[in-house]
Amino acid sequence: MEKRTNSPFPRIDRPVLAAIGIVLVGATVFFAWSDRQHDYKYYQYAFRGMVAEKLGAERAATVPSGLQQVWVPGLRRADRCVTCHQAVSWKGFETAEEPHRTHPGDLLKSHPPERFGCSACHGGQGWAIDTAAAHGEVAHWEEPLLGKPLGEAYSLTDNKAALMQMNCNICHRYERATKGAEMINLAKDLVQEKGCRACHVINGRGGTIGPDLTWVGDKAPEQYDYSRLSGQTTAFAWHVAHFKDPRALVQDTVMPNFHLSTKQAQALAMLMLSWRKAPFDAAFLPGVPRTDPQTADERKAEEDMKTGPGAWFVQTGCFVCHSIAALKVRSPAQIGPDLSTAVEDTQKRFGVTVDQFLKNPTGTMSVVLSRQIVLTPEQKETAIQKLREAFAEYQRLVAEGKNPLAPPVEAAPK
Amino acid sequence: MRLPFTRRAAAGETSPGVHPQPLWSYRPQSDREAGDAVVSNLLLHWFPSKVYKPSLAWNYSAWLGTISGALFFLLVLSGLPLMFLYVPSVERAYQSVKDIEYVVTFGWWIRAVHRIGAHLMVVAVVLHLARVFFTGAYKNGVGQGQQREWNWVIGVVMLLLTLFLSFTGYLLPWDQLAFWAVTVGTNIASAVPGIGPRIRELLIGGRAIEQATLIRFYVLHIIVLPGALGGLFAYHMWRIRKDGGLARADAAALAPDAKDTGPVPTKTYTLLGVARGTSPAVTARSPEAPDQTVNAVPDLTRRALIVILGTFALVSILASAIPSPLEEPANALITPNPAKAPWYFLWLQEIVTDTTIRLGSLTINGAFLGGVILPGLLVGLLTVWPWLDKSAVSTAGLWFPRSRRRQNLLFILAMLFILAFTFVGMFMRGPYWNLYWPWETWPGIPGRI
Repeated sequence: MEKRTNSPFPRIDRPVLAAIGIVLVGATVFFAWSDRQHDYKYYQYAFRGMVAEKLGAERAATVPSGLQQVWVPGLRRADRCVTCHQAVSWKGFETAEEPHRTHPGDLLKSHPPERFGCSACHGGQGWAIDTAAAHGEVAHWEEPLLGKPLGEAYSLTDNKAALMQMNCNICHRYERATKGAEMINLAKDLVQEKGCRACHVINGRGGTIGPDLTWVGDKAPEQYDYSRLSGQTTAFAWHVAHFKDPRALVQDTVMPNFHLSTKQAQALAMLMLSWRKAPFDAAFLPGVPRTDPQTADERKAEEDMKTGPGAWFVQTGCFVCHSIAALKVRSPAQIGPDLSTAVEDTQKRFGVTVDQFLKNPTGTMSVVLSRQIVLTPEQKETAIQKLREAFAEYQRLVAEGKNPLAPPVEAAPK
Repeated sequence: MRLPFTRRAAAGETSPGVHPQPLWSYRPQSDREAGDAVVSNLLLHWFPSKVYKPSLAWNYSAWLGTISGALFFLLVLSGLPLMFLYVPSVERAYQSVKDIEYVVTFGWWIRAVHRIGAHLMVVAVVLHLARVFFTGAYKNGVGQGQQREWNWVIGVVMLLLTLFLSFTGYLLPWDQLAFWAVTVGTNIASAVPGIGPRIRELLIGGRAIEQATLIRFYVLHIIVLPGALGGLFAYHMWRIRKDGGLARADAAALAPDAKDTGPVPTKTYTLLGVARGTSPAVTARSPEAPDQTVNAVPDLTRRALIVILGTFALVSILASAIPSPLEEPANALITPNPAKAPWYFLWLQEIVTDTTIRLGSLTINGAFLGGVILPGLLVGLLTVWPWLDKSAVSTAGLWFPRSRRRQNLLFILAMLFILAFTFVGMFMRGPYWNLYWPWETWPGIPGRI
C-alpha cells in the first residue's frame, strides 16, 4: 500500500485544536457556573437551618426545595416569590429578617396567597427568580415592588410602605373606605370634601371642565409634561407636584390650588395611579356595587341643589367656584366669593354694578367668561336677574335673623 | 475495545469497493485511506479528497463561510428546544419567553445562544460577502463549466434570507422592542409607491401588527426561511465543489510557473472536485501537484473543526456573559422613545430620517428613497456585479489586486457609509429621534412610579 503524502501543513494546527477544545470545556464550565448562580439556593438552605433550629429536624425536612410558585390563573399570575420567601405562611418567624419573615398582620386570612398570589398586591415581577429582577430593579420592568425602598425614594410622609395600597384599590376602588389602606381612604375623603367631581368625571359621574379621571392610572407616563417638574420624571411624582400646585406644572390650568399638605398630595397621587384597568376575574371584586356609594343625605343635598331655586347656577357651572348660600347652593371648591351678595359685592370690589361687571368682566372672571363659561347676552340678562333674586332672598333671610353667610354656630354643650 | 464496524481492516483484507475504515479515520495511514474517509462518511462527503493548500489559509478566506454555516447549524439546534417552549399567541408569547428566561432548565442560555448566534450570523454573512467581493472570488477561472457568478447571486439571496430570518425572529418575544422594531421595519416597506401598503398588508397579515402577524412571522421563521436557507446552503456548497473549490485555486493554476504534472498513476477521485472536463485519468496542473495539495482528512477537517468548535465556544461564552433583554410587553398604544428598527436596518431608518424634508406644511417622505430606492439599488448592483466587473480573470482569488482597486474602493466606501449610518442610528439617536453625541447622556425616559 502506498504511503500517505506527508502533510506539508503547519503542525501548529493540532495544538490550536487542542486549545479550542479546552476553551470549549471552559465555556461549558462558565455556562454551568452561571446557571447555578441563584440567590434562592442560599436562602432555601438558610431557611431549612432556621426551621431545624426552631422547630426541629423533622419539620425542616418538610421545607420544599427548588423552584416554587403560586399560580393564579384568575389574575394571570405565576408568582415565584415563595421560592425565596418561604416563611410567608409559617408561624414563628415574625421577627426574622427578610426573606425569612412570616407575613405580618392577618391580611392573609382574607387574601390567602394561593388565591391571590403575591405580586397582585406587592407589585414586582412574579416571573423572576432572582432578587434584582423580581423586585423590579432591572431595566424594562414597569411594576417595581411597591415596598419601603420605593416609598423612601419618594419620601412618603408617614408609612413608607404605603405605596402598596395603590394595588389594594384596584379591586377595592368602589369602597368608601378599605381597612388597612389609610392613605387611599384619606384620598377618597379628600375627593368628596374638595368636590373633585365638580370638574372631573369619576366612575361615570361628574363635571366636564377637567379630564375624566376614571382610568387616569392607565395614562402612559410619556403623556405627562415633565418640562416644569424637577426631580423624578414619573407619573407619580408628577401627580404629587401637580396636586401641591397645579399652575406650577400646567401654566394655563383652571384647576385651583387646594393648598394640600404633602401627605394629602401623596395620598391623592396614589389614588390617581390606582384608578386603572387590571384584568382579573369578577370573583376578585369585593361585594360592593360598582359605583361610588352616596349616603341618603348626600343624594338629597345634590338633588336639592340641582332642582332648588339655585338650579340655574348649578346647571351653568357657576357653582364650581361660587357658593350661593341664600339659595342653598354649596360650591365644592369655594374659590370665588359667595354670590348671594354679588349685587353689592361688585360695587365694593370693582366699583361697577353687577350688570356692568357681567358685560365687561375683569380679572379672573374675564378669563372664565371668555373660555369656560361663555354666556349669550340673553343668558347674561338671566344671570343678572338670578343674582338679584338671590340678593333679595339673602336680604329676606337677614331680616329674619338667619344670615346664610354667618359662620355656623357651634352647638352649645348641654 | 473497538466496536466491530470501527475495526480497521487488516492488510490484505481489502477488496475493491470496500472501504477499510467505515468511520472517519482521523489519522489516515495512506492517501487511499484519507480519500476513503471522505467517501465513506456522510458528514465529510461534500469535501474533496485533496485540497489546494493555500485555500485553507486563515488569511485568505478567514473561514467566514464556515463560521456562517456553523452559526446557522447552532441556530437550528438552539431553535428546536425553543419551539417546544414558545407559544406563538399574542396572549401567551411574552409570558412563555419569560418562562424560558427564568424557569426552564438552561432556558436562558438556549435563548441567549439563539439571540447572540443570530446577531453574529448577520455579521459573519456580511463579512463573508465582503471577502468574496474583495478577492473577486465570483470570477470564473480555468475550470470548465464554472458558474461562480451564479453562486454569488445565491449568496446575495442567502444574505437577504439571513436578514429576513433575523427580522422575523425579532417579533416573536412580543415585547416593546419586538413590536416597534417590526412596526418601523414594515412601515419602511410600505413606502413602495402604489403597492407599498399592500406589501405591508401581505407582510403582517392585516393592517395592524396582531395575532395574524405573529403566526405569519413564526411560520416564516421556523419553517419557510430556514428551509429555504438550508436548501440554498446545500446548493451553495455543491456549486463550490463543481466550480473547483475556492477561486484561489484557479489563480494558482494560472500562475506563470504552472505546469502539467502528467497523469497521476493511482488516482481514484477527481482532484479538487472539478467534475466536468477532466476524466478520472487526469493530467493535473501544478495546483494539484502533490506538494501543493493536502489531504482533506485530516488537514481540512481539523481546520474546519477548529473554526466550528471555536464558533460554538465563542457563542456559548457570549451567551453566558450577556443577558438577553426582554422589554415590556408589546403595547400598540405606547411608542417607546426612541423606536428603532433592528440594528442591521438602522442605517436605512437613519437615511429615511435624513431624506425626510419638511418645508412648512409640505413634507417629502424619505421612506421611498431611503427605504426602497437605495436598498433596492444596492442589492441590484450587488447581484449584477460579476457581470459588471471586467477585470482580468487572473485577479480572482487575490486580495486587493491593482486592477480591481477602483471597485474595491467603491465597495469599502459603501460599507463605511452603511457602518457610519448604523453607528449614528444605534448610538446617537436618543428620545424623539434627536441627535446626541455618544458621550452625552439621554434625558431619562419617564416611568409610571
